Amino acid sequence: MSGHDARPEPDAHDSASTTAGVGAQLSPSRRDLMRTSASAAAAGLVAPAVLGSHAAHSSQSTAPSSETLSGEIEIELSINGAKQRLKVEPRTTLLDALRNRANPPLTGSKLVCDRGNCGACSMIVGGKLVYGCLQLAVDARGKEVRTVEGLQRGDELSAVQRAFCEKDASMCGFCTPGFVMAITHCLENHPKADLERIKAACAGNLCRCGTQPHVFEAALSVAKGGAQ
Amino acid sequence: MSALPPFPGAGYPDASLLAPAQDVGAKQKRTRKVKSTKVVDGIEQEVEIEVEDSGGPEWGPRESLKVLDKELQRVDGPVKVSGRATYTHDVRVPGMAWARLLLAPVASLKVARLDFSACKAVKGYLGHEVIEAEETRWLGQPIAAVAAETSEAAEDCLRAIVFEWEARPSVLDREAALKPDAPQVSRRGNQGKPAVRGDEAKARAAIEGAPHKVSATYVVPVVHHACLETHGAVVDWRGGEEAVVHCSSQHTFGFAGDAAEVLGLKKGNVVGLVEHMGGGFGSKFGFGQEGEAAARLSKALRRPVHLMLTRKDEFRMAGNRSGSHIEASAGMDAAGRLVGFAARAHKHGGIGDGSLSGLPYIYKCAESWSEISGVRTNLDASRAMRAPGHPQASFATESLIDELAYAAGLDLLEVRKANLDDQVWHRQLERVAREVGWFEHPHRARPGSAKDELCVGIGFAISRWGGGGGPSCEVEVAIERDGSVVSSVGSQDLGTGVRTYVAAIPAEELGLPLSAVVARIGSTRLGNANGSGGSVTTASLAPAVKHAAWNARQAFAEVLAPLLGCQPPDVVFADGAVQAASGGRKLSWKQACAALPEAGLRAKGAWQAHLQANGVHGAQAAKVEVDTLTGRVRVLHMACMQDVGLCLNRAATRSQINGGMVQALGYALFEERVVDAALGIQLNPCFEDYKLPHSLEIPKMTVVLDDEDRRAPIGMSEAPIVPGGAAIANAIHNACGARIRSLPCTPDKVLAALGKVS
Repeated sequence: MSGHDARPEPDAHDSASTTAGVGAQLSPSRRDLMRTSASAAAAGLVAPAVLGSHAAHSSQSTAPSSETLSGEIEIELSINGAKQRLKVEPRTTLLDALRNRANPPLTGSKLVCDRGNCGACSMIVGGKLVYGCLQLAVDARGKEVRTVEGLQRGDELSAVQRAFCEKDASMCGFCTPGFVMAITHCLENHPKADLERIKAACAGNLCRCGTQPHVFEAALSVAKGGAQ
Repeated sequence: MSALPPFPGAGYPDASLLAPAQDVGAKQKRTRKVKSTKVVDGIEQEVEIEVEDSGGPEWGPRESLKVLDKELQRVDGPVKVSGRATYTHDVRVPGMAWARLLLAPVASLKVARLDFSACKAVKGYLGHEVIEAEETRWLGQPIAAVAAETSEAAEDCLRAIVFEWEARPSVLDREAALKPDAPQVSRRGNQGKPAVRGDEAKARAAIEGAPHKVSATYVVPVVHHACLETHGAVVDWRGGEEAVVHCSSQHTFGFAGDAAEVLGLKKGNVVGLVEHMGGGFGSKFGFGQEGEAAARLSKALRRPVHLMLTRKDEFRMAGNRSGSHIEASAGMDAAGRLVGFAARAHKHGGIGDGSLSGLPYIYKCAESWSEISGVRTNLDASRAMRAPGHPQASFATESLIDELAYAAGLDLLEVRKANLDDQVWHRQLERVAREVGWFEHPHRARPGSAKDELCVGIGFAISRWGGGGGPSCEVEVAIERDGSVVSSVGSQDLGTGVRTYVAAIPAEELGLPLSAVVARIGSTRLGNANGSGGSVTTASLAPAVKHAAWNARQAFAEVLAPLLGCQPPDVVFADGAVQAASGGRKLSWKQACAALPEAGLRAKGAWQAHLQANGVHGAQAAKVEVDTLTGRVRVLHMACMQDVGLCLNRAATRSQINGGMVQALGYALFEERVVDAALGIQLNPCFEDYKLPHSLEIPKMTVVLDDEDRRAPIGMSEAPIVPGGAAIANAIHNACGARIRSLPCTPDKVLAALGKVS
């Protein structure tokens, strides 16, 4: 048998999966667009033409439009309350834009699976908890992007962050920013969340070290006002 | 009050007290023999060594401790919760190129064509390195590496490589490997030399004569470390004699040496950095082929190169825990004692040899025999993974014990105690049993019936680990004139809490709060440290930190004694102040430090055998609910009791134990590497198909630290991952009678064991 790099492409999994608590508002078609641009580049055509979306300017609608974006383009994003212009490709994910193209780089959100499995890149975009690896940077235009770097005020940690420290809710810490964002989003929307809701809120976040029991304790301590 | 002026002529410490550790010990030389742990390839071996006993620092009675043995907040908690902790993945250097690897997609192949012309035409292409141009013999073996201006361009370059290949004959599982005409995986053949223990004839005779006997085959799959931070490095060489290398590694001083070799530089001219690292679990000791590729690209491009594996590549080339196939027989007498045990076991370590702990695991047996050998396949080599070989041996042994106990109609808890002399396990088993409600449980000597739709069961298992340390760490504790205290050593923190106790130990010694001490770790610019594997770090490092802190205190006392009008041994450091034991003038820490010379005070520390111990015990109980209609298992409660010697940080220790149980839960119910039978393509190289436990599957968890033995600190992080898998499998059987002898205990296996599907 022979093949042209017959690496199994897990296409079957490429549809944007959302997990309990993570409201990733991404239609499968956008992931397809990303793939189209990548394979165009692979064929040596390095001018990927991608259908973008005017809807990106409105925080509600996701209806497709006729905007065409290609090559490296400059966009303006609102990140943690500050406007920033950055150069991205249409296929650049929001996560990659923040980690690799923002200045200074915002590396708090982690790249772990790059396919919406693990929640390490959880961030709040337009008020919704999303996976940064499943969002295109161009689609974040006009929306407020909140990352883990934006939670503290000056040197003061947020209540959720303090609770994570107090309850030893991180070990290696690589998943921690994602859990912090998921719990923050949960408690902003459900200030008196119970254990069941908290578990559901971070069901889309993986942790290999096994910090979950302490994450639950941290979240509950804030929900009950313990870390205020 | 302003800082005190230094007393003329009295402010300078005795130089001898600032000298390295051994000088202090030399004053009152005595030796003692201690058990220690030596780690070879991440697997611990117990050795007895004679060590010099300094007679100096002691941990002191636990009741007197103010910092250690308490619930501490990690000193790096704030940077971790705010995204400011910099991992290798996060390193950004001006001019940095982004690199990707091309891996062999199948178990073994012959390269037919490897053409980079289209790759070179991709916008942003910077360079490539060919790693293997002819043939490969394991899944995931690197073929080539490419570097580009952006991560997107690197991906484009990778896809533009024209790579054609022909599959070579390969063996992918034990059965195929052992066939007489099987393709040979290596020149050493497909089977390693068996390690044999005991007398087979005697063991089989003992089993034959026993009133209760069971023969069964237990299978455990290959599972992955699944570190959330993938393997990789950022190699920063821009020409010249020196380089800086960041690597997600468990051995800062190890990979830096490897990097120097690839770069052709002197080891001393390469700085290795591991500021934070996102999990290793035994898989991140060397620089790895990914690190070498990054170094080669950096050398070729004369610019920094960032090469971190993608998740898919991580699954395919970055290690795994070996699987096992264990054919075992055992006999039990009427009193529940194991009288005979015989096992022939194969380890599945891919092209490596794998690991499997001795059988039977922990429990004593009058006549036992085992023959253990590795069976090689064309899959990537297993690596050390948290307690290498122990969970596999635990699963087989604990399953057999339960099967025998049921055959004999004996209580599962009592049977275990009948085969353990060490009373520590007795008390631990009883405690975890109480925690999960064993003594109120309706079926303790026979399994429940599957006639109920939802069945609840309880299972037990135990663990042990060495966890002793050795002389490898060089620690410095510095006290500055402004009152700052810095404790430094090159060691890395894998998430276990090393950084925190590097600060906490001097805080305790100097009577300061934890916040008064800064820990600096993770750099070859600092004192040497061993690799973190086999739970050797704490017992190797903590004594050296203690010794450095003690030396600093001694030296500081020499400075302060004249100010306080007492002898140096009578200077008391407590509650952020210093005072003579007899009372009198009291100086705040800042005031005291102002008496130091401009350069402050620096003291070194080295390993002290008497400040560590060896050998931990653990017991776990699992309570599960089995849905006999769907076969789905829900773990309701896991309880662990564990001794750790002196606990340096109770919060972090509990976290480590929780983590062991969560990983064991994944091992028991979900995790298994799946490769296709024809070519060896991994079918689940991502987290939606390789399932880790998530929050909805985390049961109630109870951690009990066993404080009864007042020993010095012992490495403990391996032990908690060992028993959980066996305990859960046993609990499933106890619930409904479904004995699952092959992990993971997936719903189909539960239903098959209940006879509901074939």
